[in-house]
Amino acid sequence: MLLKGKTAIITGTRRGIGRAVVETFAANGADIYAHARSDSPEFTEEMRSAADKYGVEIWPVFFDMTDGASMKAFVKGLMSDKREIDVLVNNAGVTHNALFNMTTEVTLREQFEVNFFSVFLLIQYISKFMVKQKSGSIINIASTAGEDGNPGKSAYGASKAAVIAMTKSIAAELGELGVRANCIAPGVTETDMLATLPSVVLEETKNSLDLRRVGLPSEIADTALFLASDLSSYITGQTIRVDGGLK
Amino acid sequence: MTNVEKYTECFVKAFALRDDEDVRPLEYQSIAQWDSAGHMVLMALIEDCFEIMLETDDIIDFSSFEKGREIIKKYEVDL
Repeated sequence: MLLKGKTAIITGTRRGIGRAVVETFAANGADIYAHARSDSPEFTEEMRSAADKYGVEIWPVFFDMTDGASMKAFVKGLMSDKREIDVLVNNAGVTHNALFNMTTEVTLREQFEVNFFSVFLLIQYISKFMVKQKSGSIINIASTAGEDGNPGKSAYGASKAAVIAMTKSIAAELGELGVRANCIAPGVTETDMLATLPSVVLEETKNSLDLRRVGLPSEIADTALFLASDLSSYITGQTIRVDGGLK
Repeated sequence: MTNVEKYTECFVKAFALRDDEDVRPLEYQSIAQWDSAGHMVLMALIEDCFEIMLETDDIIDFSSFEKGREIIKKYEVDL
């Protein structure tokens, strides 16, 4: 129960890594604001079921990450709740595979809009809760593509590199106020995003990994749990690769 | 407690001042505690106190106790 009594906001929780983080955090006693872009009865029911299973509160919240007004309305609601926010996991994101010369400016801007600008804004809002209480952990889900430079990932990789750089600056600015900020850089992970990779590339990638397999969302979630908990109390400004030994 | 008292208390709390200290002449960086980190704490306390969300431009412009009063009034707070 590493997160007993703590409250977390997790974005992009409908499936994949975000869903796994909800499950892992709930199993460790956290109350959770579980974000998804749009409402659905199935999602709400699944969150209710997880809350019952682990004896925690899970509040589904819905807004488009690129809709500043909706994001602001969500934060305004948090202020009224008068609840401390201990952990923010920025997981919501979109991916894109295309060679550099076949990436349009529109696509590039879309990648940055969701993967970077919305994350920047949400941290601006939520970090104020953490600054006030002089504690908090911000966890940004980046990508090994943000560090390595993979073919076909110029737009996505650039947006994640921006997240990594921003995280280091935020860590430097908020450290003295008791707030930590770190990135997780997943490698090839079993999510919907994986389906966008050509199968030949996927096989080649698997064979190049030390562990010869793709990662599981739960393995990313375990790292998020570590960064959210006091086990990582002296870690900030870092990017932890969870990549199975990607070269 | 009046809104002016609440506003004053935000400064006292943010900068760990004595309750009887006169905060009205305070300006950004006029005391050691009102540095960039202290500014973030002050903004967070004010937002929480008045249940408002300050625009980033207003956070940048918030350069003194008096200037802050003008800014907060824009958010329909009677100061």
